[in-house]
Amino acid sequence: MQPSELDRQEILMYLRTPELDAQLSETLEQCMEELCRAANPRTIYRLLPVEHKAEGVYLGGLLLQGKDIAAHLTGCTEAVLMAVTLSAPVDALIRRAEVSDMTKAVMLDAVAGAAVEKVCNDLEEEIKQKYPYPYYTARFSAGYGDFPIAQQQSLLQLADATRKIGLTVTPNQMLLPMKSVTAVMGLSHQPVKDARRFCCGNSCGECPYHDDCSMRS
Amino acid sequence: MDFNALLKQEFVFLDGGMGTMLRLAPGELPERLNLTEPERVAAVHRAYAEAGSQIVYANTFGANPLKLANTGVDAAESIAAAIRLAREAVGEHVCVALDIGPTGQLLPPAGSMTFDAAYDAFRTVCLAGAAAGADLIVIETMSDLLETKAALLAAKENTSLPVMVTMSFMENGRTFTGCPVSAAAMTLEGLGASAIGINCSLGPNEILPMIREMAKWTSLPLIAKPNAGLPDPVTGAYDMTPEAFGEYMLPFAESGVQIFGGCCGTTPEFIRSVCSHLKNQKRGRDLPKKIHAICSGTRTVMLDMPRVIGERINPTGKKRMKQALLERDFDYLRNEAISQTEAGADILDVNVGTPGIDETAVLPKAVEAILEVTDLPLQLDSSSPAALEAALRIYPGKPIVNSVNGKEESLQAVLPLVKHYGAAIVGLTLDENGIPTSSEERFQIGKKILERAVALGIPKEDVFLDCLTLTASTGSNGPVETLTAVQRVHEELGLQTVLGVSNISFGLPNRPMINRNFLCMALTKGLTLPIMNPMAEGMMDAVRAYRMLAGFDENCADFIAAYQGDGQPAANAAPAPANEKLTLQGAVMHGLRQDAARLTEEALTTQDALDVVNNMLIPALDAVGEDYEKGKVFLPQLIQAATAAQSAFGVIKQHITAQENGGSGKKGGIVLATVKGDVHDIGKNIVRLLLDNYGYQVLDLGKDVAPQTIVDAAIEHQVRLVGLSALMTTTVGAMEETIRLLHEQYPSCKTVVGGAVLTADYAESIGADCYAKDAKATVDFAKQVYD
Repeated sequence: MQPSELDRQEILMYLRTPELDAQLSETLEQCMEELCRAANPRTIYRLLPVEHKAEGVYLGGLLLQGKDIAAHLTGCTEAVLMAVTLSAPVDALIRRAEVSDMTKAVMLDAVAGAAVEKVCNDLEEEIKQKYPYPYYTARFSAGYGDFPIAQQQSLLQLADATRKIGLTVTPNQMLLPMKSVTAVMGLSHQPVKDARRFCCGNSCGECPYHDDCSMRS
Repeated sequence: MDFNALLKQEFVFLDGGMGTMLRLAPGELPERLNLTEPERVAAVHRAYAEAGSQIVYANTFGANPLKLANTGVDAAESIAAAIRLAREAVGEHVCVALDIGPTGQLLPPAGSMTFDAAYDAFRTVCLAGAAAGADLIVIETMSDLLETKAALLAAKENTSLPVMVTMSFMENGRTFTGCPVSAAAMTLEGLGASAIGINCSLGPNEILPMIREMAKWTSLPLIAKPNAGLPDPVTGAYDMTPEAFGEYMLPFAESGVQIFGGCCGTTPEFIRSVCSHLKNQKRGRDLPKKIHAICSGTRTVMLDMPRVIGERINPTGKKRMKQALLERDFDYLRNEAISQTEAGADILDVNVGTPGIDETAVLPKAVEAILEVTDLPLQLDSSSPAALEAALRIYPGKPIVNSVNGKEESLQAVLPLVKHYGAAIVGLTLDENGIPTSSEERFQIGKKILERAVALGIPKEDVFLDCLTLTASTGSNGPVETLTAVQRVHEELGLQTVLGVSNISFGLPNRPMINRNFLCMALTKGLTLPIMNPMAEGMMDAVRAYRMLAGFDENCADFIAAYQGDGQPAANAAPAPANEKLTLQGAVMHGLRQDAARLTEEALTTQDALDVVNNMLIPALDAVGEDYEKGKVFLPQLIQAATAAQSAFGVIKQHITAQENGGSGKKGGIVLATVKGDVHDIGKNIVRLLLDNYGYQVLDLGKDVAPQTIVDAAIEHQVRLVGLSALMTTTVGAMEETIRLLHEQYPSCKTVVGGAVLTADYAESIGADCYAKDAKATVDFAKQVYD
């Protein structure tokens, strides 16, 4: 990953700042370079069958809990389960900065947010190239709406993500390495519903729908 | 069948994939099948035995209490059934291995599972496997070196079975947690594995170069158990045929691999193919030359040239470090680790021995804290064997132990620990009679230490000798005797030599100059591991120049990299606006760290520390805080200003400590913690930075802190405010529990909470006194509580 590939506007948004002065801009440039050097993005995905049943929607035989994910995958017969991580050295980089330079830590954290988003976008493009369908849903993650975050472990198992990309989950459903994402994207022959009405109440900075979310103040 | 008897053969054949053969339905738990459908598992073992497997892995990969929690399957029961059914399926002529996979959770520094929790889980597994009659233990598909160590220690300490260990690597030659092949090899051999190797993750093509690398680092039998190539994302099918796989094992055999099997995607056909391709082949391998090296979990340091051991993390003679240790201010240690790493140290010494400190409790904590911020290997430095053992257990990799000496008591207490944990050891050339004056006597003590270590099975190259630097002011011949002893140890024994360099100048003027000259003299005599301050002026310069001049620095590359652009302003010195008129307030508000520190020093020459804080620093922070609230400046500027203020407060702290008046000027205490289960604590750290700046005595308990620990700390330190942070909806429960316990046990204490998922309403509903939307709001509430 190159620093130039990262979306600077997005990083500024995570930093909740409209612009940076010259000095902070320079720090940001440094952070972008350091982050790209440390990151070793790993991705895995599986194309899995989707089955809608009375009790809910099944992905590759796994019952995904909650009404929202079922609604999200309406009309889909297949979906991609993806898992993405920037890998452990990124966590170490941020941890170091938290001790020695908190300004950099906050910036690195924001840059990492943009970087993991970029890895997801790239992977999504790759998947769309490989499996051309008329319609795709947005990516939907455990923790959005009523899709319980407690299913994180099952999703990792389904993607074999611990073995394949080293992605783990703590007993409290926190992904480690920290800068990681799991998501489900439906593939459909019919137009899909707009997924953007779901809000997990989680940090908007990490939400993929932040760009045009009507719920953010 | 006996595993050691098998090892006498040219090649040993393992089995292939288990999951591949079981054709699991989604969500089906393989470990449950041992109890519910034993025949289905037994059929797989039989198929492998018929194909030529001499060792089959019982179906216990995920059978540990952590992974099976909430599944209704008891790990020990599943293991006992798995071993039994495997034995019945393959008979006595095939070995049955207890198979141990990762717990699926990470240990520090990457994760939060404790070493003890991992060890306990693995012990349960090993005891169950041994009781059920396993012939050996296999630890496989490991990524985290510390977790692997926990499993290996659990196996070695609770059973007498041989243990094979294989880890999984990415194409870049590292595991997911960043462990290089070399570090894995030297650590696992040191801990007493019977055979080591690589499994899973990749196919033979990608694994071959890594197994060749591993062959350079170990004399143990090597294991290769690759996947059947690479998987297809849709079907999950692997791309290699049994024939191609078998053929690919030939270069593995030539590279010295003795033990062969297959991992994901391989079937009995693959094993049959491997057996037939290797029939009548010979194993090639020259045992490697002994390499002098140590490692952390993520970095190997070869001791093939002088390497610098940073001495700064040691309270001896350092008031500020002592104070930090007494206050459990591990960030102070972390900062010292970062500065020394950046200055060019290769290894860091860690010593926490000072009155009032329980070294056995604190040394391992200090080691964990330091490894969060550096990947340099550590030298564990203590005179307490119990403290050394506590740190040795949780250290990921091969550390140096500092030290043993020629006293019988020391030899008996320390050397067995060094052997058990596969460390390197520094031997001090002193004994019951003290430090001998002559080089000859020191050499003899050194020799004795070496002999005793080797007799215990510690490799010679892991014994380092410290011929002891005595101050030059005590006797005219002291330095020469030390250097003569160094030279003899280096030349006659071929060992690494260690010296604490700066002792030489104790009690003399112009110490830096003496230290530099003595360092240069010692390097030319064969000093390989100077213990020194890498930040002291000229010391790293001397080492780098020596390495370059003595032919250790090919093309002078390292030297040029270190000094290129020398004389230019340092890259991180931000241009200060209107330097002439810059005030301390201005420096803080503009986030100029170096200027803030410099101007604070200046201010302290004419003003009292408290005045500098109250009249200059606090008003500057208030001004930035106000601008932030008005939306004139934003988060990055706020933090930058706080960071600059922090460097100013660092100077003030140093000043106050130097005046022997610790603690003055500090306001009331506040306990901060990220709650149990939550490991993302950047938000809490921002809050701490600001509270620190405003002069509060912050006791930061870190992340993933149990409710009762927080309450205990609040009571012990009689604080009036506890700040709690939680990022996840799943951990807010721990926050609620903490508040509940506080109300029960320490009702007068106030609570302030924050974190991404919290809202004011929610904070109220869990009984918090204040919801802080950001760090500034926390400071405002602290003021309300204390002022």
